[in-house]
Amino acid sequence: MTKEDRDKLIRLISSPPAGSKIAAAKEFGADLTLLVSALELTPTERLERLADAQEFVRDWQAAMKTSAHD
Amino acid sequence: MINFQVSLKVLSNTQVRFVVIGGAAASAHGLPHLTYDLDICYDRSRDNINRLASALEPFHPRLRGVVNHLPFFLDAATIANGMNFTLTTDLGDIDLLGEVTGIGGYEEAKKLSVNLVLFGLECAVLSLDGLIQSKRATGRPKDLLTLPEIEALREIGARVKLESRLGETQNHDSVTGKRGEPEPSD
Repeated sequence: MTKEDRDKLIRLISSPPAGSKIAAAKEFGADLTLLVSALELTPTERLERLADAQEFVRDWQAAMKTSAHD
Repeated sequence: MINFQVSLKVLSNTQVRFVVIGGAAASAHGLPHLTYDLDICYDRSRDNINRLASALEPFHPRLRGVVNHLPFFLDAATIANGMNFTLTTDLGDIDLLGEVTGIGGYEEAKKLSVNLVLFGLECAVLSLDGLIQSKRATGRPKDLLTLPEIEALREIGARVKLESRLGETQNHDSVTGKRGEPEPSD
C-alpha cells in the first residue's frame, strides 16, 4: 500500500460518508483502524497473524489453567 | 489451532478442489477476527472426494465434539454418504462443507471466489461478496455481527481503489490488489 493510499484510507475511515457501509460499521462499533494494518499485509501475512493470535490465546488459556491450579 | 500453511499445502498437493470459506477467508481478505479452524467447501465429485479422503487420512481426522469411543473413519465412502463434517485433525480443526448456506455447492462457491496466493499456493477464497451472501443467509447472530465490517471492507475497496487494482480477481487480494507473495521461480 502506498503512503497516499494509506492516507486516503485513514481519511475515509475517520470521516466516512454519511449513509455509507463504512459509516454504518463505525456506528455499529467496529474498530476500523484495525482494517488499515490488516490491509497493509499480504493475504499470507494476515493468516500468519491469525495463527499468531491463536497461539497467544492458547498460551494464555494454558497459563490461566496453571495459575488456577496453583 | 489450525496449521493453515500445512493444511492448504496438503490439500493443494493432493489436487483437492476446494474453496476457502468462513473465518479464514474473511481473515485472508483483511478482517481482523479470530477463528480457530479452516472451513472449506469441497467439490462432491467422486474423484475429488477420493483425493480429499486420502489427503486428510495421514492426519487422523475424527469428528469434533463427540466422545472418542464413537467409531468414525473418514474415508471416501463416509464423505460421499455425508455432506458437512466438523473435524479435528493433527493439523487442527478443519470443517468440510459440501454445501454452504446461501451459496450452494462447490461450483457456486468457486464462481463467488477470488484466487489468492496463500503460502505460495494459489487458492480459491470466497470473495467478500460471497461471504456477505452466506452470512446474510445463515442469519445467525455470530455471522450477522461480522456483516458490518465485511460490508465496510468491501466498500473501502470500492472507494479507495487501492493501487487501482480493485476488481481484479486473479491472484490478487480483492481489496488491496496485492499479490500473496512473489511467484516462485522454477
